[in-house]
Amino acid sequence: MASLHINQIEKKFAPSKTGQQAPFALGPIDLTIREGEFFSLLGPSGCGKTTLLKLVAGLTEADAGNILFGDNDLTKVAPEARRFSMIFQQPLLFPHMTIEENAAFGLKMQKIGKKERLLEARRMLAMTGLSGFEHRYPDELSGGQQQRVALARALVAKPRLLLMDEPFSALDPGLREEMRELLGTIQHELGVTVLFVTHDRQEAFELSDRIGIMGGGRLLQVGTPVDLYERPESTTVASFLGLKNIVEGTVHSRNFESHDGQISINTGQELADGRYCLIFRPETLMPATFGNQATVPSVQFTGKVSKLKFNQGTYVALVQAGDEMLECMVTRDQAENMEVGQLIKIFVKQSDLQFVEY
Amino acid sequence: MWRKSKPYLLLLPATGTIVLLFFGGLFDGLLKSLGYFPAIGERQLNLDAYTNLLASDSFWDSLELTVRVAAISSLLAGLLGGLLAIALFLLNQYSEDENSRLWHRLFQLPLTIPHLVAGYVIVLLFTQSGVISKLLASVGMIDEMTDFPVLVNDPFGWGIILAYTWKEVPFVLLMVYPVLARIQKSWREVSRVYGAGNWNFIREIALPIMMPSWIIAVFIVFVFTFSAFEIPFLLGVTYPGMLPVYSFQLYTDGSLSDRPEALAVNIILALMTICLGLATYYFSKRWNVMKGWE
Repeated sequence: MASLHINQIEKKFAPSKTGQQAPFALGPIDLTIREGEFFSLLGPSGCGKTTLLKLVAGLTEADAGNILFGDNDLTKVAPEARRFSMIFQQPLLFPHMTIEENAAFGLKMQKIGKKERLLEARRMLAMTGLSGFEHRYPDELSGGQQQRVALARALVAKPRLLLMDEPFSALDPGLREEMRELLGTIQHELGVTVLFVTHDRQEAFELSDRIGIMGGGRLLQVGTPVDLYERPESTTVASFLGLKNIVEGTVHSRNFESHDGQISINTGQELADGRYCLIFRPETLMPATFGNQATVPSVQFTGKVSKLKFNQGTYVALVQAGDEMLECMVTRDQAENMEVGQLIKIFVKQSDLQFVEY
Repeated sequence: MWRKSKPYLLLLPATGTIVLLFFGGLFDGLLKSLGYFPAIGERQLNLDAYTNLLASDSFWDSLELTVRVAAISSLLAGLLGGLLAIALFLLNQYSEDENSRLWHRLFQLPLTIPHLVAGYVIVLLFTQSGVISKLLASVGMIDEMTDFPVLVNDPFGWGIILAYTWKEVPFVLLMVYPVLARIQKSWREVSRVYGAGNWNFIREIALPIMMPSWIIAVFIVFVFTFSAFEIPFLLGVTYPGMLPVYSFQLYTDGSLSDRPEALAVNIILALMTICLGLATYYFSKRWNVMKGWE
């Protein structure tokens, strides 16, 4: 096993014949995926995630750059010789083969004997919870079961790298969650390196060791889920991660002031003067009511409660601070003691302030 | 009551005609083959016609020729049709343009030509005085047109085989290609990722998927050529003739007393065709063409 190195990889697509779609360019992208790591590419539709995955698989040819697996340059190597596995959005099982024949397909291509490959396939099918289904045909299985077979087929081939292209996007939410858990467990057990493409934030955060956020054909930021969430480097990344409290303003002599002047706070960190966006995570905004007091260096400002929302166990207060509408997570007690129109003081730890240039 | 029976009554003229002409003819033929022929005063049922027929060399020579021609032409049509289907499928997989559709239409052209016309085309092309022998003689590949091998009205049946192969290749293509066309392009990507090159893809995915419908198509071609009349009549020799021609000759050239034998040939042909049809049906059920497809 070895790490995957993507160096300055680029791919350009010509505009569509009808001229309705603009030309798309991916990269240049540099990325290293470590051995045994679960790495996710997260981004909106059309940002180039699948293209990058297909470049790694060899199904698409790169215009520039190279792809190394350990010391081996795979850039010109055909996909059939890379010894990777890939799971697509659809299970894409072969309809004329039984479930165990489908699962054993990779091993058959590796010229492993029938007895051995079927034994391995059955073992992997058992691991994915499909014991007893070996002799059925794909159309006798549900969508979730078919995707489990696709997972078994991918893993049984003992791939050097497992590529997954939004494999659970066609499943209903309950099944998706179940598959996520199964994949997490199996990946942990087998230690296989995974490159996973998704546009589902929850999926990426739940499964990944590290995540690469993509947008407009570029890799915008790479980091652990916690790093990305707490320290987004741009408003694009923050927006994609669902962070809505983004306040535009300027920093002058370590003081940030929003454009409308309503939020004026000490940055608590060395920043060059200029235009910045201040990102507040909803859970870091604490209403200074009911005896809540800051115990660490904090900043505070005033806002008016505009709305209270309940969402499956969490309460969110929408607080109007000048022109900005900020989301603030509150406890049930706090929510029950709040009223729409009430003026409240909000404080936030200085260490939780995240400034990005714009 | 009227509402329930109305559709059946409306269908009655059509079903009546079919029953009368098809089953009536068959039944009349069966009776006459069994010796019931009031026109010549025979009213006793017996198996004389069948016994005579099975004892005659002409019948066995005809049967041998019929089986040979049907088997070779259906195999050739099957092989060529199968190869063309795979070639079209690969063309469609690797090219994004309209070329594959154009080729597909081109290969379907012979389907629109009637069998009799196809027979004449073979005569015009492959006789010793035909277009091909003239061409070969004019470019010096053969000295005389008579050096061209006898491919039409030959005892082996090559002319008939050529005509049926040419006519039935598009039929096999028509049966097989739609099955192959259902193979998703993504399957090629899946198979490549798991280590399958082009040949492995054809062997492991394309061939097994097309095989059931290919076998059924070849069966149908065999059954059809086995009992068809016009091409063997046009391109065959006087002796031995294929079974339908042999029956026709017995019926028209012989006396009234030969007619039970002529009709016995037809009944044997019909029985063999029914048996082959049942076999085709059995295998089509067993190798469910769409097994595993959603």
